[in-house]
Order: sequence, then C-alpha cells, then structure tokens
Amino acid sequence: MVLQLIINGISLGAVYTLIAVGFAIVFTILRFSNFAHGGMISACAFIGYFFQRYVKPTPPFALTVIFTAVCGIILALAIDFFAYQRIRINKSPSIYYFLVSLTVAILIEQILIVFFGTNMYGYPAVFETQTMQIGSFRIKTMNLVILAVSLSLLFALMILLNKTKIGLAIRAVAIDPNTSRLMGINSNVVITTVFAIAGLLAGVSGVFIGMQYSVYPSLGPTMMLKGFIASVVGGMGSLGGAIIAALFLGLIEIISTYFLGATTTTIIMFAIMLGFLFIRPQGISGKFAEDKV
Amino acid sequence: MGILEVTDLRVWYDGLEAIHGIDLSLPEGEITAVIGSNGAGKSTIIKAISGMVKRSGKLIFQNRDLPEKSNEIVRRGVVQVPEGRKVFAGLTVEENLRLGAYTNSHPKEIPELLEKQYETFPRLKERRNQDSGTLSGGEQQMLAIARALMAKPLLLMLDEPSLGLAPILVSEVFNNIVQIGQSGTTILLVEQNARKSLCICSKAYVIENGRIVIEDTGENLLNNKEIANAYLGSSKRLSCN
Repeated sequence: MVLQLIINGISLGAVYTLIAVGFAIVFTILRFSNFAHGGMISACAFIGYFFQRYVKPTPPFALTVIFTAVCGIILALAIDFFAYQRIRINKSPSIYYFLVSLTVAILIEQILIVFFGTNMYGYPAVFETQTMQIGSFRIKTMNLVILAVSLSLLFALMILLNKTKIGLAIRAVAIDPNTSRLMGINSNVVITTVFAIAGLLAGVSGVFIGMQYSVYPSLGPTMMLKGFIASVVGGMGSLGGAIIAALFLGLIEIISTYFLGATTTTIIMFAIMLGFLFIRPQGISGKFAEDKV
Repeated sequence: MGILEVTDLRVWYDGLEAIHGIDLSLPEGEITAVIGSNGAGKSTIIKAISGMVKRSGKLIFQNRDLPEKSNEIVRRGVVQVPEGRKVFAGLTVEENLRLGAYTNSHPKEIPELLEKQYETFPRLKERRNQDSGTLSGGEQQMLAIARALMAKPLLLMLDEPSLGLAPILVSEVFNNIVQIGQSGTTILLVEQNARKSLCICSKAYVIENGRIVIEDTGENLLNNKEIANAYLGSSKRLSCN
C-alpha cells in the first residue's frame, strides 16, 4: 500500500515538476512570476480534451499530447508577442510583467468560462488496461505513462540546457543579462526559446492533469499554485530545486490526502511554503553567486 | 583613417549629457588608451561603442556604420571586456569561454580557439571545469580577456582591466594586453592606471568631464608635466619599467 502511494505520489510530483519548471524557467530569465502559466495549462487541458474527444477517428494518446504541446507553444509565443513584448520594448519595470501575467491568467480563465461554463469535463479513457500489475502492486497505467513522459521531458530539457549552445545562452542570460549582450547573445532569441519551452511544458502538463482530475476553467490556476509552491520551496529561479521540491510536494500531497484528507492537505502545502520562507527563504538550492571585486 | 572613427559621440544618462561630443580615431593594429580621473566618462565611451548605453554620433568601423544593437556590434568584431570582469559565476571556466564564441557559427573552430586561450592563459586550463565564480580576481580578469578573445575580435575594448588587482597581477594583465596587441588586434584601453597605459599605447586620449582635453602619443604624454602632475602622481619623469 505504502509503495503504491509513493509511486502515485511521484507520478503526481512529476506533473508538478513540469508545471514548476515551466514556471521557473520564465522566472530565471525575466525575473517575474508568470501567473499566465496557469491560464495556459487550463487552455491546453481543454484543447487536449476536445482533440481527444471529438477528432475522428479517435487519435492515439501520444498524438493528443504532441498536438496540445504544439498548441501550448503557439499560445505561449502569442502571449509573449501580444502581452509581454511591449514591456521589454518600453523597458518598463518588472512589476508590469507581474500585473500583465495576472491579467492574462484571468482573461484566459474567463474566456474559458464564457465558452464552456464552469462544468467539469472528464477525459475519455485512453488506455485499454486501466491498471497494471507489477509484482504484487496494482498501479494505474496513467500514472506510469505520466511518470515516464514527464521524466523523459525533464531529461530532454536538461540536455538542451546543459549541452547545447542555446541552452548555454539561456543559462548565461539567467545569470547576467547585460554581460550576455556583450557575448553577442540576442536576448529576444533566448526569451522566445524560454516561452516556447514554458508553452510546451504547459501543454503536456495540461493534458496530464486534465486526465488525472477533470477539465474546468480554473484547473490551471489551481495546479499552478502547486508549481508556484514548488518553485518557492526549490528556490526561485533554480530549476533543479524546483524539480526536487515538486516531486516531494507530489509525494506529500498523495500521502497526506490518503491519511488526512484533501482539505488538510492544502493547508499542509501552504504551511510548507511558509515554513520555507521563514527558515530558508532562498529555497532548497537557491544560492546566488557573489561577484568578486 | 583608423579602424574605428568616432565623430561627435554623445551619451545621456537620465536626460543628463555625460559625454559631450567627442571624436576618436583608433589606428588599426595598435593600442589606444583613454585615461582620466574617476567619473570623467572613460567607461561610458566603451559602453557607448558596444551599444550598452544609448548614444548619438557617427561611428564608422572598417568604413561601415557600426550597428546600434550590442549583439550585432559583437558580430562585427567589436568586443568588450567589461569593468569588474563580469564572468558568469555558476558556469565553468570553459562554459564562459564558449559563451565568448557565441557569435561564431563554425562549431569546428571552437576547440582550436579554446586551445589557443589555454596556451596564453595556462591557469585557465587547470581550472577549466571549475565554477568561474570561485576563481581569484586575477584569474577572473584573465578569463574575461580570454572570453573576449574567443570572439576573434578585430577591436578589443578593455574597461579598467587592472581594477582591484594586486600589483604583480596588474603587470601580468598589461603584459597580456601587449601580447594581444602584438598579434595584430586593435585595442582600446580604458584605465585608471595612467602610467602603465601610456607606456604600452601608441596613442592616448585624456578625458575630463566628458570631453577630450588632450590627444597625443603615449610617449609624449608621459613626458608632459601637466599630465604627470594630474594623473601620474608625480612631476618627475617616470620610466616604464
């Protein structure tokens, strides 16, 4: 039983890592909390739902994930183009980013409510066998798929960040945007890439949490809160910290929901965040390198 | 005609003019120094050329207009070593160097360029996989210079490279600059260490309150009594060694 809970917890945590990383990667570059990420997750959950449900013949699940991911990228780039780009051009203060991201999040949620109401939509079942027998444990196929896809995606992202030129540029801009310009790095290219990554992660996580729970307009913002907590606990701007924190949050959530119930769990999640802000405000791995004079 | 011809360069900070229309001409393949006291606007000149601050005026590099965006300026071969090194702490020494070659679109050239910098700065090779934030100030300065050289600059601009370094390291940095100059790279050097700069440059500008007050060869300026009094800390003629 306990092992089963742990696997479910890690699987949930894996989705949270996608959300937290999508949220944190924008923070590392532009230094603002991109609350629009929650709106993108909701929108992608709906896109995935309608694609899976109404496209005939019923597409394979992998295609739904890919299609939604592409839509997520387009959505993220559109939000950047219409909402954020002007802030950069005008060199406005970062608080504008924050306000605009909240506006976009609310806007997306309200548009979804106008079109689809506040009803819950359940994803159709996509796997023939809903559970898998591993040894003496019975585990939901969905959870295993989510775990596998999330981990592969994170792995691919780490390769991109650590082994490619654009990844190196992203890390450089995260450390020092001004000096990066002196290296000939075009910040627009880096920002576009980062939003594309965030959009892709929002797309995939939107489908996954849509399947785990059901689809409704405030799904994304609710889930984004978990990603946000993971980012804070992991140390704002640290991808590694966000991943570890998100996995732990997933575990704690599943275990605590099982033993204590869902309401108490939400309180526990926020208590963890507040506890971290009191004791270790820089988060699990948050450390800012100091300049040597 | 120099490799870079600057006419009527003006820079504003928050509506206040900091550089009041200066002209510069950098002879190709030689070291040009800009000296002056703190706050005279020396660093601003370099920042203006590399597009880090908004500027007006005419900048002709190799007979063509110099672009306004910093990333395009780097692509033209005008590369800056910023004041205070500004290495990317958190990235390794080698990653810093690779960033220097960001504009190079031939990946095959990178190992060769790396090897070249390691030859010039052997200490960086020893520490190639170390976090650049853990290097000493002198090593960080070497790294900042090597990183700029990775871009194969035609014009290398150094902003206060000796700032905050121990005297023995200052000499080492200046030796490196001379070496780079001898390899044919044009250099613009902005320094508070006026004596050492005048010793290695062929041409120098003295700047005061955002204006050029004297333009002459380094040697003449070293023998200039007024300059000696104002910037070299002694009216006696100082030798370069």
